[in-house]
Amino acid sequence: METLIVIDQAPYGSFAGREALDMAFSLAAFDQPASLLFTGAGVHWLRKGQAPDSIHQKSVEKNLSAAPIFGIEQLLVDSASCERFGLTVDDLPDGITLIDGNADMIGRYQNVLFAG
Amino acid sequence: MTTSNLPARNNEGFLEDAFAWSREIAEVIAREGDIELSEKHWEIIRFLREFYKQHEISPPSNRLFVKAVREALGEEKGNSIYLMQLFPGTPAKTACRIAGLPRPTNCL
Amino acid sequence: MMSDFHTLHILNKTPDHPRFSECLGMSSSDDALLLTENGVLALTTSRVLGDRTVYALKSDLTARAIDTHQSNVGAIDYQGMVELSLKAKRVICW
Repeated sequence: METLIVIDQAPYGSFAGREALDMAFSLAAFDQPASLLFTGAGVHWLRKGQAPDSIHQKSVEKNLSAAPIFGIEQLLVDSASCERFGLTVDDLPDGITLIDGNADMIGRYQNVLFAG
Repeated sequence: MTTSNLPARNNEGFLEDAFAWSREIAEVIAREGDIELSEKHWEIIRFLREFYKQHEISPPSNRLFVKAVREALGEEKGNSIYLMQLFPGTPAKTACRIAGLPRPTNCL
Repeated sequence: MMSDFHTLHILNKTPDHPRFSECLGMSSSDDALLLTENGVLALTTSRVLGDRTVYALKSDLTARAIDTHQSNVGAIDYQGMVELSLKAKRVICW
């Protein structure tokens, strides 16, 4: 029973996404398959070179890089949202899969959880 | 150095600033829990320091601590018995406390 | 009380939140909607939910003084929420 966690909000403005990431890691800890989908303003999570020590926060870019180690199944990003916010394939970190994150795609998961 | 002149810590003995850490501080914190640090401990501590530098988080739970150690150092060290023997109590908490990392979020 | 349905949509946002309309857009008449937290405030805005099967979490209704006596909304407790989740073929938490 795979869970899709959808992050559709930009990082650093609230704790919503961090809590969702924590939940994804917890699912993985108990060998429950979990994937993350970044869509809408959530694609800003994937920008390279984030240095949020300037605002006294930890880097979600670096946090996210632990996902494969903890056993997160897939990191997915909605291609239309990338286009909207000016991100190309080259701008994305390794291990991210570009997909069409529409309702059909989301509906294929038995459990879906929107962050925040 | 003794417990009284360590850098600022929270109420559970975790350093407030992971980068205020030193080997000497690790030894003091370990002694509070009656742990004498051996090379086996240091290997895990080095791993955790490096992990934190790369990912800016502590492994959130014991299970994920074990998983991360297994990924990096293999099955022989990435198992709960080995880590429990080195870092008694809640291994993720004990090890992170000594390594100067923040408290793992999902450990009770 | 609990009729058959396909997807359980758990909605905790007020009707002015973008996710509220996304949820209604993705749910069909085969689905059930469970309102929690601020989601229960949708019950004060008439007819926004259409003819969907709607449940709401009792503790959130009570906390916010929302009355469901006049409506077809099934007020349930946490036990009921667990039962609904287990019954669903799919669960989406908005």
